Amino acid sequence: MSGICRVRLAEERKQWRKDHPFGFYAKPAKSADGSMNLLEWEVGIPGKTGTPWEGGLFKLTMIFPEDYPSKPPKCKFTPPLFHPNVYPSGTVCLSILDEEKSWKPAITIRQILLGIQDLLDDPNVLDPAQSDAYTMFKNDKVAYEKKIKIQARDNISR
Amino acid sequence: MSSDYEFSDNEGEYYDSDEMMDDYQNDEDEEMEGDKYNNHNHNNNNMNDDDYDYTNDDDFRIPTKSKSKSYQVEYTSLTQSLVEKSMKEEVDHVSGIFGVEPSTATLLLRHLGWNKERLIDKYMENPTQILVDSGCQVPETIPSPSSSHSVDDKSSSSSRRATRSSSKLLLLSSSITSPSRSSSAQKKISSTSDSSMTFTCPICYDDSPSLIALSLTCAHSACSGCWTAYAISKIRDEGEHCIRCMTEGCAVVAPDEFIHRVLRDDDDGKDLEGRFEELVVRGFVASNPKLKFCPYPGCTNTVSCPSAASKSVLSMLVPIVSCGARGIPSSSQNPTSTSLSTATNTSSAHTKEHIFCFGCPIESDHRPVICAVARLWMKKCEDDSETANWIKSNTKECSQCQSTIEKNGGCNHMTCKKCRYEFCWVCMGPWSEHGTAWYSCNRYDEKGGVEARDAQSRSRASLERYLHYYNRWANHEQSTKLSLDLYAKTEKKMTDMQITSSLTWIEVQFMKKAVEALEKCRETLKWTYAMGYYLGRGNEKELFEDNQRDLERAVEDLAELLEGGGVEMEKEKENVGGLRQRITDKTVYVQKRNEIMLEDTAIGFQDGRWKWNVGVDGFEEPIEDFGGVV
Repeated sequence: MSGICRVRLAEERKQWRKDHPFGFYAKPAKSADGSMNLLEWEVGIPGKTGTPWEGGLFKLTMIFPEDYPSKPPKCKFTPPLFHPNVYPSGTVCLSILDEEKSWKPAITIRQILLGIQDLLDDPNVLDPAQSDAYTMFKNDKVAYEKKIKIQARDNISR
Repeated sequence: MSSDYEFSDNEGEYYDSDEMMDDYQNDEDEEMEGDKYNNHNHNNNNMNDDDYDYTNDDDFRIPTKSKSKSYQVEYTSLTQSLVEKSMKEEVDHVSGIFGVEPSTATLLLRHLGWNKERLIDKYMENPTQILVDSGCQVPETIPSPSSSHSVDDKSSSSSRRATRSSSKLLLLSSSITSPSRSSSAQKKISSTSDSSMTFTCPICYDDSPSLIALSLTCAHSACSGCWTAYAISKIRDEGEHCIRCMTEGCAVVAPDEFIHRVLRDDDDGKDLEGRFEELVVRGFVASNPKLKFCPYPGCTNTVSCPSAASKSVLSMLVPIVSCGARGIPSSSQNPTSTSLSTATNTSSAHTKEHIFCFGCPIESDHRPVICAVARLWMKKCEDDSETANWIKSNTKECSQCQSTIEKNGGCNHMTCKKCRYEFCWVCMGPWSEHGTAWYSCNRYDEKGGVEARDAQSRSRASLERYLHYYNRWANHEQSTKLSLDLYAKTEKKMTDMQITSSLTWIEVQFMKKAVEALEKCRETLKWTYAMGYYLGRGNEKELFEDNQRDLERAVEDLAELLEGGGVEMEKEKENVGGLRQRITDKTVYVQKRNEIMLEDTAIGFQDGRWKWNVGVDGFEEPIEDFGGVV
């Protein structure tokens, strides 16, 4: 099974280098000895233009299990993000990342990242993962947007 | 199975019945092998058998526990293969009505939780819709397959968009559900696409020419290796039997033959075929209120108990059933070999019958008390609400600073450690008003503290009352747990007896019987205390408690005889025969008392004789009782 996992990730890497959506980056992490660890990727997701998220580039770690792609990768914002569907640990709560919900082995890294980008400005209020962002989003949209803008400014891409 | 309450000294009879069951078990094994895989050639001879009536078909029935006592329920234990057989009957029926393949009928039935009536309604209303919803077929607006190799598939899927009647026909003839089982659901890509084009699996990106591409009706291909890995992960890690196409957003479900086909490719997968079948059976059992899966670990038997299928009857009876298996089988794959046969194995450890309640999650015989009350009791014992009750009855609050005070000795002249307030523990009034005549606290029955004192004494009485019942309940539970030890001890005594006396193995079995009876009766006794706690006061309760007392006496007498029996034996070695007679007599008596207890309470439930001191679903309002404090 691990055979599938690494071959698939190597191919995902190849496809990504060939072509990827604008503003994103994604690359396997370097281990301490300098070798490439295909099971852990460092990625950056840009906020969509025309939204309070614009200008920010949000760092995320993708951790692939050995039985990927039968199981989805774990996606974690580092540092944790202020967003209703992001757990205090930074883990993203999204149906396509849940093997018991909509995860399918055919979903590519590109699709996951675009899915998370969509989620940024379109939170799912039925599935809150942290109370701070959720309550503010529900009760005070103005303050919420302000906070998101500040967060985007703090995460400008270099 | 049913001989437990009908104690008889005739050992031969006891084992005969076991042999009979073994014979039966063998028949069924043969049967199972016969029709496990030839689903398609089965004659639909039970086409009109509308409900899940397993008792009609004498061919596959473990002897039913005949309803002879009012505290017993009628039920049938079914092995996994028997449940599979009834599933197949349902499937064949639906497949016959709709004219669809059995595999399609299976998916349709599973989608609607095996509710055939609803399925027929929905299918008559809009067959295409239900076929799409259940994952048998792709929807009208097909998400076009992303890879380029599916030239052929597109045409076939577009033709599937045809009218209602033809779509039915097409589904019949579509390759996915073709009757020959190995080729079903499997498409070699070389036959469906240009030979010049090599297939690249969209999951693992492998493109070696030896790759076997498989797809469901949706024509989203993936290599067999990826399918195998996916199916294994779904079945093993998630316990899921509904496995959908691996393509994003595609809801087409893989039919069973397809799953078996991909599992067989892999050694791990082969082991999971049994697990897959079990998951399917579990799904079926869970959707049918007349069935319940045996909760014992590793057991795959099912019990059918139509008389306890609705929640409302649970206020009238206690559906204690047994799945027919004994002990905990070491390998879950082979329930038939472990069931029933261990009863004859004398050297084996004390294996317990898989007894559980059909109506609630309690995995033991909680007769005579009904499920709702048993649950109340369990909850009460788990809750730490009694801690609060304890505090309430053992402490008082300083009337000045409200600190909680426990009086641990000394006289009634209390001085609060915190605020130095001096008061009388009896009347809670300030000490200054008592003068020196504190011994005859003359203010006790007057005004002020009366109400508070009443509340306090009520609480104390309620706690005492609870503890009275709880201690007895816990005591019997403890004794039941210790019965394993007693069993081992008895076993040793039995061996000794064979050596020291002229008794044969068969003749010393009375000891084993006595221990078994004791354990059973303690279980009953234990639950009578839960019942007693909630019974409303009145004549009925007094009669109940009389029965309880008689049973308890009988149980303790027998226990003493068994525990002390060894010592006695030393003294009067030649008199083993007398001991045997006495133990046998006591055992019969204890069983008699147990039966009276169970019978009387069961009839009471049927007649609606019992009144509770708390609100219980399906009963009248509770009787006012000082113990009604929860």
